[in-house]
Amino acid sequence: MNILRFLQEVDRRVLYALMLLVIAFPVLVPIPLPMKVSPATQSLYDSIEGLKENDFVLFGVSWGAGTRGESRSQTYALMRHLMRKKVRFALLAFEPQAKVLNQKIAEELQKEYGYVEGVNWVNFGYQIDQENFLQGFGKDIVGTIKKDIEGNPIGSLKVMEGVQTAKDIKFLIDVTGSRSFEVYITFLQQPFNIPMGGGLTAVMAPEAYNRLDSRQMVGLLGGLSGSAEYEKLLGKTGEATGASTSSAFAHLLIIAFILLGNVAMFLEKRQRQRMGYGEK
Amino acid sequence: MFSPKTGTAFWLYVFGACVFTVVLVVILQALPQRARRPLMLAATFIGGLFYVLEFFVPLRTMPTPQDPDAVGNFMTPFVVPVAGILIPIVGAVAFGLGAINLFQIHGRRILKKNPNYFFSYVFFIGFFTTLTIGILQRLRPNAINKNLYDLIVVGGYQNLDATMFSIIAFYITSAAYRAFRVKSVEATLLLVTALIVMLGQISLGQMLTNWLPEQGVGFLGNFRFEVIRDWILNKANTPAVRAINFGLGIGSLAVALRIWLGLERGSYFDSQG
Repeated sequence: MNILRFLQEVDRRVLYALMLLVIAFPVLVPIPLPMKVSPATQSLYDSIEGLKENDFVLFGVSWGAGTRGESRSQTYALMRHLMRKKVRFALLAFEPQAKVLNQKIAEELQKEYGYVEGVNWVNFGYQIDQENFLQGFGKDIVGTIKKDIEGNPIGSLKVMEGVQTAKDIKFLIDVTGSRSFEVYITFLQQPFNIPMGGGLTAVMAPEAYNRLDSRQMVGLLGGLSGSAEYEKLLGKTGEATGASTSSAFAHLLIIAFILLGNVAMFLEKRQRQRMGYGEK
Repeated sequence: MFSPKTGTAFWLYVFGACVFTVVLVVILQALPQRARRPLMLAATFIGGLFYVLEFFVPLRTMPTPQDPDAVGNFMTPFVVPVAGILIPIVGAVAFGLGAINLFQIHGRRILKKNPNYFFSYVFFIGFFTTLTIGILQRLRPNAINKNLYDLIVVGGYQNLDATMFSIIAFYITSAAYRAFRVKSVEATLLLVTALIVMLGQISLGQMLTNWLPEQGVGFLGNFRFEVIRDWILNKANTPAVRAINFGLGIGSLAVALRIWLGLERGSYFDSQG
């Protein structure tokens, strides 16, 4: 087979094997890479940094195991920052798996920062039908949620002191792999004028940039690189910093193969023209 | 009506709701297809009417103990019960409906011994195992039930879900390699944009233009990959996404109106005559 044709038709199993290799290698042998913090990440960090002690934050966590690779590190980084700032927060999920996944993260981090469930944070659990739910939630949080995931009436929890309606929420975050951030903007951020930030998967992030432009969102973490940038700002290396190296190598492999395929195609075209075959 | 009930009243409400549901289902099943249509239309219209009235009737000051500055209209007091009580009930019924549909489909496959009917057994075993362990873990949260739940849900289901999603990385590599070919001006534009955004997104890509001055320091600083990426996302991508969202919004409104008013073809058992 012609080498130029071969370079355009590399067997997909070879690509899979190379991809596996470039993802696994930095996991086994950590390679620290310099990174630049994007304005969207910096802006989110600054906004959370500006919160006062004991402010109440609604932390939307509508992600499941499917986007765990990106969303978990975003949740870790943002939750860590909230705990450092000593603000109260409530987890709210519109994805069935999120209730358990995020409970584990909060339970793990609370030991480090002396947080107590029910006193400094609460898990509102999984709720259905985000559009309808948020309309009631904004008007009466306790009346709509009623109980946390442990079955405690949320009106009796210390963490909810002075929190009745969405007007009492000082900041809103949504870490998600879906369009749930749009619904938050429509039914909570806009009507109650709550500053909002987001953590989105890399494929979703470009859709949220118009919300940054319109100031409906103050900042944004885009994919794994977003959480790695946030970890850098926090000065605490987490899983995203290592994983972003794998991601960088994977991207580079994709770019290399795209270029390889195109160069080979271009050279083969010229070769055929020289030999008088014309277009294939 | 929406206040919490306890003791005998609670069980009476549960019993009444069960009887009402059974009677309703029996009546609906007994009705001919043509008679069901107006019922569905009426239910949809009344459901939609709630939101139309809530959003379009003018607002006035309506202080509540929870929110002394609240504004609303005569429908506003029903928003919290609808969101907190009715919607979860409808959601639970929808989950149940989904389960019944799956039982019908997989049950039929097993009875008819369709090709690969073995997987329908897998469905039933998986469904009832997960359901039983989930209920046990909630009713009796001892170490055995908790470990079983962790094994099935956390160790099994969640990891399978993550694996399924991770496989996309391999497919994307293969698809990008085969599809991203410079065969037209549009394809070239797409390719160049994608490469710049990818390079600007990763640290290895950013390192390639690290020798250029920082943005704002000199003119050449504007050519760093991460700066061009930000420009593409903010200046080219943003208006395009906004335009798509406008189109989607108007389209959704039109479809919602058609469904609400019963004008949409193919809904409400139309296909069943």
